[in-house]
Amino acid sequence: MQPYDERQDRDCRRNSITAKRAQWLTLPAALALVVAACATPPAAPAQPQVPAATAPPAAAEATQPPAAPQPSGKFTYWGGLIFSDVANQMLVDKITEWGKARGIEVDVVMINQNETQQKVSAAVEAGTMPDALDMGTGLMQLLAKNGQLEPLDDVFKQIGEAHGGWLESAAKSVDPARYGGSVWGIPFGLSGNLINRRHDLLSAKGFNEAPKTWEELGQMAEAVNDPPKVYGMGFALSNVGDGNLTVTMLQTWGGRIADDQGKNCTIDSPETRTFMEWITGLYKKGLFPPGVTTWDGAGDNQAYQAGQAAFIANPGSVYLNLRDNDPELLAATRFSGLPAGPKLQLQPYGPNVRAIPVTSRYKDLAKDLLMYLADDEFMKEYYANAIYGPVLNSQVDFPVFKASPIHVGLLDVAKNGTPPAFPDVDNPAYAEFNANFLIPKMIQRVVVDNVSIEDAIKETQAACQAIYDKYK
Amino acid sequence: MLMARPATLQSPVRASRISLSKRTSLLGYALVAPVVICLLILVVYPFIFGVTISFTNREIGTEGQFVGLANFIYLSKVPSFQKAIVNTIVLVGTVQTMKLVFGLGIALLLNQAIRARQFWRGLILLPWAMPAFVAYLTWKLLYLPQGGAFNIIAVGLGFGNIDFLSRELAMPSVILATFWRGFPFWVISFLAALQSVPQEQYEAAAIDGANAWQRFRHITIPGILPVVLVVVLLSTIWTTNSFENVWLITQGGPSDATMTFPVLAYFGLQTLRIGEAAAVSVAMLPVFVMMAFIGVKLLERNQE
Repeated sequence: MQPYDERQDRDCRRNSITAKRAQWLTLPAALALVVAACATPPAAPAQPQVPAATAPPAAAEATQPPAAPQPSGKFTYWGGLIFSDVANQMLVDKITEWGKARGIEVDVVMINQNETQQKVSAAVEAGTMPDALDMGTGLMQLLAKNGQLEPLDDVFKQIGEAHGGWLESAAKSVDPARYGGSVWGIPFGLSGNLINRRHDLLSAKGFNEAPKTWEELGQMAEAVNDPPKVYGMGFALSNVGDGNLTVTMLQTWGGRIADDQGKNCTIDSPETRTFMEWITGLYKKGLFPPGVTTWDGAGDNQAYQAGQAAFIANPGSVYLNLRDNDPELLAATRFSGLPAGPKLQLQPYGPNVRAIPVTSRYKDLAKDLLMYLADDEFMKEYYANAIYGPVLNSQVDFPVFKASPIHVGLLDVAKNGTPPAFPDVDNPAYAEFNANFLIPKMIQRVVVDNVSIEDAIKETQAACQAIYDKYK
Repeated sequence: MLMARPATLQSPVRASRISLSKRTSLLGYALVAPVVICLLILVVYPFIFGVTISFTNREIGTEGQFVGLANFIYLSKVPSFQKAIVNTIVLVGTVQTMKLVFGLGIALLLNQAIRARQFWRGLILLPWAMPAFVAYLTWKLLYLPQGGAFNIIAVGLGFGNIDFLSRELAMPSVILATFWRGFPFWVISFLAALQSVPQEQYEAAAIDGANAWQRFRHITIPGILPVVLVVVLLSTIWTTNSFENVWLITQGGPSDATMTFPVLAYFGLQTLRIGEAAAVSVAMLPVFVMMAFIGVKLLERNQE
């Protein structure tokens, strides 16, 4: 029998009581943790005043933090990833540099531009939008319509004045008269598709100049078509953004998505029939690579870089890849603007803008950042690595717009290009129509499902009208 | 000192007016409360929210207004929606049947005393362990009509170029990739279930003269049935909701040949009209409810 140990007994009782207390104490603590974890974030801090926000950007600012009270928390920026790692890193570094100069911690998140819409949708609903972000004007338009963006007329004006004014194309991209009475985004680069062609193959067949019309391009493509080695028409006919180049093609044939009021669909037209006969005819002749109806965004890149497409339309990523990895193919490549159709010549530019959500905690700082990023020295180097055309008059004479063939083309797009959607009305219904890829799908119905052109047009007309009716 | 002990111990009990059983119950409720609260916030609330907004014209950043069944009526007229119904049924039905047949077959094989059994069991898990994104992109590369591995082999064997992503072959291609990615879960689950069936039952049946089929039919199947039902139920829900398999290989094309509900809902989000996007997801709800109901009923019957 073991002797009774009083100390052990006391300890045991103490432990027993402590354990019971601990059980009851941990419960409220656990509940508090759960509630805290699930609770909405605390209210945004008061908007800090930053005197520098109204000053034009200058390199010297980077070393002079503002005298205003330092903001607490982190400034978040969502940048749009592009194909150039160097350009992506430059943006991150520049914003980080700005943060240091302003005395605020910054978090730059580079996101896939194909995912921007979905990420923004989730962030708006969750109340977790960044303080500023990059986007296209399609998303800008949709967000502005729903009151989610901060008006930036003052910033737009100041940047324009500091840089010799905005190019007309950039100004039109955010024209308050077209987009709800205010400037909702600050353009920083214009994208545009250029035709990349295999000059080596084409010149061997006697075609030394760029095609002037789409029909001429089709004839040239047919001349060099040599499946399965090379296919003439490397244009996506799938449910991705590249597939919507067919909308531009259709418009050059005189076809229209909707009427001049942007209210009723007008796809069912003789012009659409003529266009459909042309493009499906080329498909049936075997000029399009197999799989083109399911290509993703990199389908044309892969086909061209593998030497299997004679013509593609690309905004510059193929050029960057060839420049770095395949100088031989680059030497055999020529770049030109989009050809004309029977009725029109269109060279749509795709504006990329920086915007500030209404939920931004640091609106003045965000405006200051947008002006900071417009710095000519930074943009000169940025454009040399990115694949954008200029937006400001001070940028037109940057060396890259004379030296690089793709940038020469992008400068031409910026100077002479046509606004997005033109000649159609650029409204939310048009944006939804494009997001549903109805024109590539109309072509797929004929070349994949063997539906007649007439039936495919009627189906598309009905689907289009159903979309436009929602916005009436 | 010894006399003082009972008084010290009894005082808290006397002070409490709640009986021991009630205190135990309260403690139980309090312990599960965090889980219940989390479920309410993370599962029940989003579910009710999703169903609610499917009846509104809500867009991102706006409250929206109640529009009744307008979203569902609009969707019913969209050709892609009708194709999504058929495609989802074809995809899920075929993939699940394949997983069941091959999963069970491979599990039975791996349950035997074969050489390097542990190696094969580990190997079979690889597709399941691989991130879905990587797995489906790899399949896409294999299927590519130009430069794809399958086509290089096909051309080498003299079959010529095959478009694995054509209208006729796109769905079978997606089905094969989805099956490949998902079947290890079935194999491992079935294998675990097979190992829990008492060996004595097989020995007794063998002594009684039961042949292999009879042992499989009357011992193996009843022994693993609860696991099979749970796996079928879970995997069917996962496969119906799977997005990457279709999106990364075909984006729903060509011409909606592989359009499924999750891909259609994703397209809905492109235009910020979350009311409509939610309606696509809610349209799948009756199917899930039915599947869950059947699964639970079968499990209950099996337990009885």
